[in-house]
Amino acid sequence: MTAPLLSVRDVSVSFGGVKVLDGINLDVKPGEIRGLIGPNGAGKTTMLNVISGIHPPHHGDVLLDGASIVGRKPSDIARLGLGRTFQTSQLFRGMTVLENLMTGLHHRTSSGLLAACFNTRRHQEEEEATKEEARQALEFIGMSAFADRPGSALSFGQQRVIEIARTLIGSPKVVLLDEPAVGLSLNRLAEFDLLLRRIRDEKGVTLILIEHVIRLVMDVCDQVTVLSSGRRIAEGSPDTVRNDAQVIEAYLGKELRARHPAS
Amino acid sequence: MELFTYLLLSGLTTGSLYALIALGIVVVNKSTGMINFAHGELFMFSGFVAWMLHVQMGMGYLPSFAIAVAVGFLLGAVTNLIAARPMRNADVVGLVLATIGLAFVFRGAARVIWGGKGDYLSFPPITSPDPVTIAGIMVIPQQIAVLAGAIVIMLVFAAFFRLTRAGKMMQATADNAKASRLVGIRIDRIYMLSFGTGAAIAAAAAVLMAPLTLLYPDMGFSFFIKGFAAAVLGGLTSLPGAVLGGFCIGVIEALAGGYISSSFMEVSAFIVIMFVLVLRPTGLLSFGKLRQV
Amino acid sequence: MTLFGRRNVLLAMFVVAAVTPFLVNDYYLFIANTILIYVLLSIGLNVLVGYTGQLAFANAAMFGIGAYTTGLLQVRLGWPFWLAFPSGAVIATAVGLAISLPALRLKGLYLAVSTLAFAQFTQWAFLNWETVTYGAGGFKTPPISFAPLPFSKEIGLYYLSLLFVVVLFVLAQNAVRSRFGRAFVAVRDSEIAAQSLGVDLLRYKALAFGISGFYAGIAGGLYSALLNFVSPEGYDLFQMVLQKSMIVVGGLGSIVGSILGAGAIVVILEALRAVKGVQEIAFGAILVGFVLFMPGGIAGFLKAKLRGWEEPLHRTQGGRPPPSTLVTPSEKSEVRS
Repeated sequence: MTAPLLSVRDVSVSFGGVKVLDGINLDVKPGEIRGLIGPNGAGKTTMLNVISGIHPPHHGDVLLDGASIVGRKPSDIARLGLGRTFQTSQLFRGMTVLENLMTGLHHRTSSGLLAACFNTRRHQEEEEATKEEARQALEFIGMSAFADRPGSALSFGQQRVIEIARTLIGSPKVVLLDEPAVGLSLNRLAEFDLLLRRIRDEKGVTLILIEHVIRLVMDVCDQVTVLSSGRRIAEGSPDTVRNDAQVIEAYLGKELRARHPAS
Repeated sequence: MELFTYLLLSGLTTGSLYALIALGIVVVNKSTGMINFAHGELFMFSGFVAWMLHVQMGMGYLPSFAIAVAVGFLLGAVTNLIAARPMRNADVVGLVLATIGLAFVFRGAARVIWGGKGDYLSFPPITSPDPVTIAGIMVIPQQIAVLAGAIVIMLVFAAFFRLTRAGKMMQATADNAKASRLVGIRIDRIYMLSFGTGAAIAAAAAVLMAPLTLLYPDMGFSFFIKGFAAAVLGGLTSLPGAVLGGFCIGVIEALAGGYISSSFMEVSAFIVIMFVLVLRPTGLLSFGKLRQV
Repeated sequence: MTLFGRRNVLLAMFVVAAVTPFLVNDYYLFIANTILIYVLLSIGLNVLVGYTGQLAFANAAMFGIGAYTTGLLQVRLGWPFWLAFPSGAVIATAVGLAISLPALRLKGLYLAVSTLAFAQFTQWAFLNWETVTYGAGGFKTPPISFAPLPFSKEIGLYYLSLLFVVVLFVLAQNAVRSRFGRAFVAVRDSEIAAQSLGVDLLRYKALAFGISGFYAGIAGGLYSALLNFVSPEGYDLFQMVLQKSMIVVGGLGSIVGSILGAGAIVVILEALRAVKGVQEIAFGAILVGFVLFMPGGIAGFLKAKLRGWEEPLHRTQGGRPPPSTLVTPSEKSEVRS
């Protein structure tokens, strides 16, 4: 039994008297792809906000690699190796795609302001290395041709993939993905499966995935946790969860039929 | 003690004007989420319009008041059309710069039309300027008239907001923009109504205030900042909060001016605004309203 | 390399600026020097507003603080200009850094209003703190001398200003191209994503405020020497609108745009000097017009029309948020909470 890379211990969050998260526990092992599903308002995104430090929990603890990260600034948590993407596109629209990726390397570069202002040799070398690494990252997702496009000129689906690459480039240990498949066409969805597996296998990154496209979750995740009204109602392999009566009642029954009448 | 009651009364009087300006700011903010940085200039400009009608053209006070309020409404609608409506989906930098640009156009226009810097126009008092003593307290009738007028305007506005169709529509948008679009409330009209109504209230405040003080083209900004301080104190989206905030700012200012130094009168609102925004950005008078999930 | 590429245009502008003292009379030299000072101001302001997206209105106040500190240290304490001038820049930088502390908690409109209040407070202090500032009438500063060098005060100050413009332009240009510029733009375009990539918001906002304070402080010191006079009037709201117009006209998020904007606005200001009301109408209208119809400013126009005109990390046209039709309101509020 390997020690969990990320563990959430008895976390509760409430807004205005409403418990959005109620005593949640979650242990994610290194190299795992964990699915996090549940109906709207189940508290999935709040969960990611708690882990990434945007919203500190009112109760409970979050451990990354065995050390508590509760109360730290989001930027510090990112430096410790936790990356994430967001539900809406958060690409930097004033930068090119390549510059977006270079920003992902921010915390791994170290030039000081004066070195940058005077454009010292060391700074130039670091910039070149940053640029090169960003190019490789674009290659990884097969979007080299887009390097010099402005961020604002991409399709929604492309923006999402660039955002994932931007997070990966900083060599995080864990990446939280918030509905990454929104806006992807059905054809691209298949490639996306593959991309997530490659991220885990080639980059050695552990993934936590919120997703409404159930097929993707069932295909790619090792373990699935189901939230409903701020509580964990089920956890296990995709097959176990799929057949769990409570899950069918709380989630699949209402949500899935409404969202994907054809499937 | 006499000084205190005097200061309190004059603080409440100017406070009632700040309350009206704050009401205008909150009306706009509540239903559009925007702040009109030209609000103070609309206030100033309407005051000048009333001066022109009343002093230059010899019209009565009440008709001048009515026309100035109507002009204020129109100017507010124009502000919406030029600076706010095109900026609705843009970022906040664009919106603020556009309304500030417009503010300077109004300011320059007032200077060109009604005189240069240093030209202070006076408005004849509408009641006798001599103080009277009521129950041992010295009272200037003009102040009472302003205070009473302001309260009447607030009541009229409250009735408008609660009882008329337009008011109800504005309130609905304030509660939920998306839902009100679904039920067919036209957002364009709401924006126009809000900006117009906000400016009309400011215009009413200007005409009410005019007999009490002098009019000059640069007055708009300092009234805007004070009105804004009042609105912020009340949490920026609460109408009663804005009124309460206005009275607070007025009284704080009067007491600071009376007991510390008269130069503190000008600056106390700025200090309040800086502290409130930094320490308690949700407003002092909001009672821990928590965000919905 | 095209003829009207960015580098050639900049070189040509530098050559024109360098020979200006030999070609024009004292009055036009004064105007040219004013332009140089405003170039410094708008570069600093552009780093703060254009790149980092912090809509602050304290720049005129920091400009004033630089001028007052430089002037008062000479007059009150008898310091030489060469010591008072850098001290003014240091104080203005410190004030800029201090303003940034509340800025972490305040965004958008709230930041705008609180910095406006700060600016008014500073103006009030210049006017009313008479035991230090000499009040509304202002005060004269001692004329500076470039003693060992064979320059008159006017020409010496002009070249000193030009030196600062060239050096501070190059430094700013390098900084915005580096990881610092990317961090600034990241903060502007998406704070939430910036911090998820390890960009410390407080640190970079503070840095941007400090940089704009430093540039404004340098500009203030030079301006006090140019006028030999410091009074509250020069650092009021109109000053603030002038500076905002410069970066909007030149192009938000463009260092070169700051130069073009400053030049254009000072020239228009001079042309309309006679009537203050007309000046106000003109600048108000220019501000509205550019925001509505040319949100990229002159730099955005050049970038679109001239090949070879590269603007790193330029602000996107209009800065409209991305379409978010795929996200329902309830989900959106979950992100924010």
